[in-house]
Amino acid sequence: MKDNLRDDELVCRCEEVTVGDIRKAIQAGARDVTEVKLRTRAGMGLCQGRTCELLVQQIICRELGISADKAGFSTPRTPQRPVTFGTLGGDGFDK
Amino acid sequence: MTNKSYDVVVIGAGVMGTSCAYHLVKKGFKVALIEKIDIARGTSSHCDAVALIVDKMPGVDAALGYASIQRFLELKNELSYDFELHQKGSMYACETDQEMDIASKYAKSMQDDGYDIDILNPKELLEHEPFMAKDLKGGIFSKACCGLNPFKLCFAFVDQVKGKGLDVYSYTDVKGIKLNDKNAVEGVETDKGFLSTKKVVNCAGVWSPEIGKMVGVDIPVKPRKGVILVSATSFPFCNQKVQEFGYMVSKFAEFKCKRDPDVEKYNVAFTIEPSKANNVLIGSSRNFAGYGVNTEIEIIHAIAKRAIRFYPILKEMNCIRSYAGVRPFLDAHLPLITDVDKVPGYYIATGHEGDGISLSPMTGRLISELIAGEKPYLDLAPFSYNRSKKNN
Ligand SMILES: Cc1cc2nc3c(=O)[nH]c(=O)nc-3n(C[C@H](O)[C@H](O)[C@H](O)COP(=O)(O)OP(=O)(O)OC[C@H]3O[C@@H](n4cnc5c(N)ncnc54)[C@H](O)[C@@H]3O)c2cc1C
Ligand code: FES
Repeated sequence: MKDNLRDDELVCRCEEVTVGDIRKAIQAGARDVTEVKLRTRAGMGLCQGRTCELLVQQIICRELGISADKAGFSTPRTPQRPVTFGTLGGDGFDK
Repeated sequence: MTNKSYDVVVIGAGVMGTSCAYHLVKKGFKVALIEKIDIARGTSSHCDAVALIVDKMPGVDAALGYASIQRFLELKNELSYDFELHQKGSMYACETDQEMDIASKYAKSMQDDGYDIDILNPKELLEHEPFMAKDLKGGIFSKACCGLNPFKLCFAFVDQVKGKGLDVYSYTDVKGIKLNDKNAVEGVETDKGFLSTKKVVNCAGVWSPEIGKMVGVDIPVKPRKGVILVSATSFPFCNQKVQEFGYMVSKFAEFKCKRDPDVEKYNVAFTIEPSKANNVLIGSSRNFAGYGVNTEIEIIHAIAKRAIRFYPILKEMNCIRSYAGVRPFLDAHLPLITDVDKVPGYYIATGHEGDGISLSPMTGRLISELIAGEKPYLDLAPFSYNRSKKNN
């Protein structure tokens, strides 16, 4: 990670969340990836954090001086990648 | 934190704990809010968030729901942090003539009690929701219903009073409650130290039975799981919260309708809710399966199947995530908002099941009135611990 990230740099492209937004969330009390996600939507987009989560985690580590372990990660959930409701709910769906 | 002293200690920073803490500070109390994880990390961020009138039973249930909606409209101006409140109304859709019949009777009894509920014929239903299936039999609608962001509501309650009468202890686990020789509350024991106080409010949701056991009070709350599917963002094809009337069947056993056996097993009833970010949230199931929040593929399948039944357009749309939460369920179908005779200084605010977001503003207000020794805005008898001893 670059040493000095500018506040206006984009972290989460899907939800258009910047470094500044994440810093603000941390100032408001967020201490891990999930709490930042709840306060900023970073990681809630189409790619479900596959693009941004690591960077979010690193920013938290840097700002708070904690380990990646402490900053955590968000819980992975089904589906692994976007899939239509037609497929999920279809008659031929393999449970 | 050791040796600090507070007027009231609130346990659990979900929607109930944050609302109680906020309303207590407004009454002038010095309050500590203790939370095992962090603000809104329990059920209050694993749910939908509508405040409805069309899903309440006539009587105290509807009265509490209605008063909460009025309180939400005040809070929108009172709290600086935006919790995305909107009043777009909400609708129930009926799949069969039998459901429509029961729904109409329900709507009429609510109208008799003075609530603003319309009965929609199939054409009117499609005017409200043009993308719904064309063969539905009609529905009922109330424009009073609100939607909001549940975890932002928790942040809003906290941010307003933090440092101005409220201290928040995150990542702090309550381990015990100290009582004196008269069985009255003396303080709260945590993994980070002791806080002395004469008053404790148990707002621990599905975990409230544990906090009850600490003082020998039995709280019969059970975790009732619900799964939700999130769509990718799209053009706004859904204008408001919509539910299948079958939801009423799964919520209150008094209404009996024939249901699809495929969805019966997990008590699935279709609900859809547009979010501010242009996703829709689609739910949900109701089953007793412990505290876990995994999203089983079998339940996802049943929910998706109901979803495309009501909104065929969803067939081609993407699902990007599923999540689950556990509702604090009580057999009595009414929450506990109460003190406890045998333990002076011990209060309970839980058991709201699938209505906790909706009922949180009034619950917080009622608890603050109770603790301040004022006459509560609503009669608390139906929510008292003594009724639960008899009925649960
Ligand atoms: C799928 C689903 C959909 C829903 N939809 C709606 C809806 O549309 N409208 C609506 O009104 N409601 C809805 N609900 C219900 C609503 O989410 C709940 O009623 C509400 O969130 C309960 O809030 P709470 O504050 O009581 O519990 P929680 O939010 O779970 O808060 C309890 C807190 O206590 C903490 N805690 C537990 N033990 C301890 C301890 N020992 N020490 C310290 N802290 C502790 C927990 O960490 C937790 O943060 C839904 C629920 C689900 C699951
Ligand atoms: S970049 Fe953040 S969710 Fe996709």
